[in-house]
Amino acid sequence: MAATMKRILSVLFIYTSTTLNLNIYAEVVDDFKEELFIKPLPSGHVYFHFQFTTTWEADFENPKSFEHYRLFPKSLGHVLTTYKVQELHLSQTQGLWRHDKWGYPVSSAPPGAELWVWFQPSIKSLDDTWSELVNAVSGHFCTSLNFLDSKSTAAPRWSFRPHGVASDGYSSFSKFVRYGALPREIVCTENLTPWKKLLPCNTKVGFGTLFKAIKLYDANYHSLGLDVRPVCRDSDCKRTSIELSQSLSVVFDPSVKNNEHQDWSLKKILGDVLSSRCPLASSSKIFVDTTSNIPKSIFTLSPDPDSVETITRGGEKRQYAVYDVGLQTAGGRVLNLGAKYDNPVQHNDIIPPPIYAQRYITGYGLEQGGVTCLIYNNLDTNLTVIYMETLPWFTRFYFKSLTIVNQNKQIHPYKVHYIPGKDRSRSYHLELVFRLRANSVTKISYKFERAFLKWTEYPPDANHGFYINSAVISTVLPTASNYTSTPQSSSSIETSFQDKSENFFLRIHTETLLVSLPTPDFSMPYNVICLACTVVAIAFGSIHNLTTRRFVKLDPSKKRGLLAKIKAMFIKQKNTKSDETSEKETDKEDEKEKDE
Amino acid sequence: MIVILLIFLCAPWLVLSNTSEEEIGEFFKSGHTNNWAVLVDTSRFWFNYRHVANVLSIYRSVKRLGIPDSHIILMVADDMACNPRNPRPATVFNNANQHINVYGDDVEVDYRGYEVTVENFIRVLTGRLPPSTPRSKHLLSDERSNILVYMTGHGGDGFLKFQDAEEVSNVELADAFEQMWQKRRYHELFFMVDTCQAQSMFQRFYSPNILAVASSHVGEDSLSHHVDPALGVYVIDRYTFYALEFLEKAKPGSKKTMGQFLKVCPKYQCISTVAVRTDLFQRDPNQVLLTDFFGSVRNVEILLNTLALPNITLTSDTCSKSSCGNEEVSSRSLKYADQFPMPV
Repeated sequence: MAATMKRILSVLFIYTSTTLNLNIYAEVVDDFKEELFIKPLPSGHVYFHFQFTTTWEADFENPKSFEHYRLFPKSLGHVLTTYKVQELHLSQTQGLWRHDKWGYPVSSAPPGAELWVWFQPSIKSLDDTWSELVNAVSGHFCTSLNFLDSKSTAAPRWSFRPHGVASDGYSSFSKFVRYGALPREIVCTENLTPWKKLLPCNTKVGFGTLFKAIKLYDANYHSLGLDVRPVCRDSDCKRTSIELSQSLSVVFDPSVKNNEHQDWSLKKILGDVLSSRCPLASSSKIFVDTTSNIPKSIFTLSPDPDSVETITRGGEKRQYAVYDVGLQTAGGRVLNLGAKYDNPVQHNDIIPPPIYAQRYITGYGLEQGGVTCLIYNNLDTNLTVIYMETLPWFTRFYFKSLTIVNQNKQIHPYKVHYIPGKDRSRSYHLELVFRLRANSVTKISYKFERAFLKWTEYPPDANHGFYINSAVISTVLPTASNYTSTPQSSSSIETSFQDKSENFFLRIHTETLLVSLPTPDFSMPYNVICLACTVVAIAFGSIHNLTTRRFVKLDPSKKRGLLAKIKAMFIKQKNTKSDETSEKETDKEDEKEKDE
Repeated sequence: MIVILLIFLCAPWLVLSNTSEEEIGEFFKSGHTNNWAVLVDTSRFWFNYRHVANVLSIYRSVKRLGIPDSHIILMVADDMACNPRNPRPATVFNNANQHINVYGDDVEVDYRGYEVTVENFIRVLTGRLPPSTPRSKHLLSDERSNILVYMTGHGGDGFLKFQDAEEVSNVELADAFEQMWQKRRYHELFFMVDTCQAQSMFQRFYSPNILAVASSHVGEDSLSHHVDPALGVYVIDRYTFYALEFLEKAKPGSKKTMGQFLKVCPKYQCISTVAVRTDLFQRDPNQVLLTDFFGSVRNVEILLNTLALPNITLTSDTCSKSSCGNEEVSSRSLKYADQFPMPV
């Protein structure tokens, strides 16, 4: 009976209704745009850049705006408010962007992971907040950013100014910014997964359906970017909004598997076609850069674009084919955007962009070394650049060895900001401002010394080497040749079509360097034991013999041959035996005597 | 009213079916309410590909049977999927026929690369992590959690090697589990280890409610299964291969028992002898469901008393449609920061 009673009670559902009068009518106004920018590169590669921009009419300083979320991800908002962040820029990259062959990316990123953050002016104890923020972001994105401690963090003075709205007084204070980079950081599916989850439509509809890890990581260059910053809400700019820009840049090489033809399509490269549009997006468009089709058509797009825009930016003419995903996928159709080339790839000389750089290690041996960076200026005008380097503490930088040479003439930098490193607590931070001559190569070189690490400080794969962060070069270009970045007002690609500015801010990252430090042989303990024991056995044995052996004088006249020696041995034995038997007899006699 | 009448009419029938059901229910009753998994791969370098494939196979099974990512702590010491030597990037296969990509499309690795150290492992188990550690790296288990701990790598008699640089000994591990017991961090624990001489790792356990299985006895080596000629390395270990075969057949509502799982991989398949330790475990493994450790089947406790919740109406703290838009408007125009602070 008890069982049935229980049964009855469990069948009867108990409703507890709560009556909460919710009068909150907080208006959350946000806007989401998804864009895909495709640019075929002259080297035979194709550059895909996915741009997801969420603009949220909220204010960083007002904590109430972070109570209700709609399209802006709540987990990220929580991180921003807890750690009083004003701007956050995170990039995770696999591969190196080849400036000389591919031009400029929409946003530059070094190989590995890079994080730079501007904190709000009301923050207290910035260093503690930075170490906590770094842990929170690392858990969020499955990267090991928690290794960015005081040994690898710098506060750049001129290179990483705020990208969003900021007052002059605030942005000139480099005490609010922190920069750290991990060149060794691997990017794989586990980093793509949490990044994808921040998108409003995730991978269910829209561009998210094209994210197949097997295709995205089989590329020459892959970069995940996340940028949060305050932007002007409207043209008077009396109020700010928060802009979240998520970008995924991939460079594929379709000609490798296609018999040198650069034909590409969404299905071939990304593995899937577009069959839907994210309904939460206010705009969902694809832009294909068809500038190379002027004057002569090299490739044909299929299907035909919805519109073709011809714009002039910074004196350069550009043509874009625009596809509206909503129109193309209406009525159950699928969009398999592709291009067909008439001829195979021509491996000619590619016209390099206005500025690019190359950096490498010089020297030999494991005691000292040098780094040289060559910056190429292909413009007809002189350019001012800011060059930033961060060296780890175990590559001890010699400041007086720093030289800048252009066509055999020494160049003196206008400004120098140098913070020397301290063993095991701070890294070396160098920022230089100098001028590049027109149409020339400028060479910056310096020497360093390699330190001995303590044996516990080596990583488990110590013989791989240690990485040096990439150098960051910032400049302002007078022309938009090869330039694809968006203007400062918005990260949406469409806004670059109306860009009427004449100066274009550029930031490029060089290669990361791999340095071998003097590494002990970690199999040494085993070798030492073998060697030490052998030495002890030989040496000790000999000395023991020497010290305890008694030397007996031999008569030299009694020289004995070999036979005589053997006979002597047998005689000795007989003697000992007879001694024994005589001893036994005496013992027996003694016993007999005792018995008696 | 009608419902109660119907139930009274069906009561005799219900009573009859109830008793047999209840007996079976008592049989399989477990006292846990949530499941956690701590999966550790301790080996670095490309030739230890099989250890990463091992741990990802168990991760895949555990996720498939219902444990969510937030309850799994996955520690992988090296990256095999996006390794430049991998001919198929973003994939890890545990079979030369490359049917299943155990890396998957939504993997979340909590501790990767250099973070997989003995110190971090023991801290995760005992919960003594620094306060700034993100939530995904904490093992937030309580006294009603069933935890699965799986370890794979290179080991020896009494120790397990972490990344070729340090070792965790069986004494340390036993003490860590005892700390967990004293802090009430687990209800029941299932310890699986796939290394050489694996039995030595659980010989020193002394805390209650631990069921342990190892792929080889002391003095025996655990062997790997087969080579993938496309990769040039062994892709999976024997014990995990056959364990995975068993787990692939299980579904979230499966009635398979732990007793059946402990019999996986007899000597003719594994070549090494599987060792089992059941003396610390209070229930009979033949009556414990596989999903008690590998899945996330939850028991719900039904409360028979009503709760009175207070009637809250939020006061004027909230803003209404008209008043919400009143933020502080700055009188002067704001502008973007100058990105290049030098004269051009």
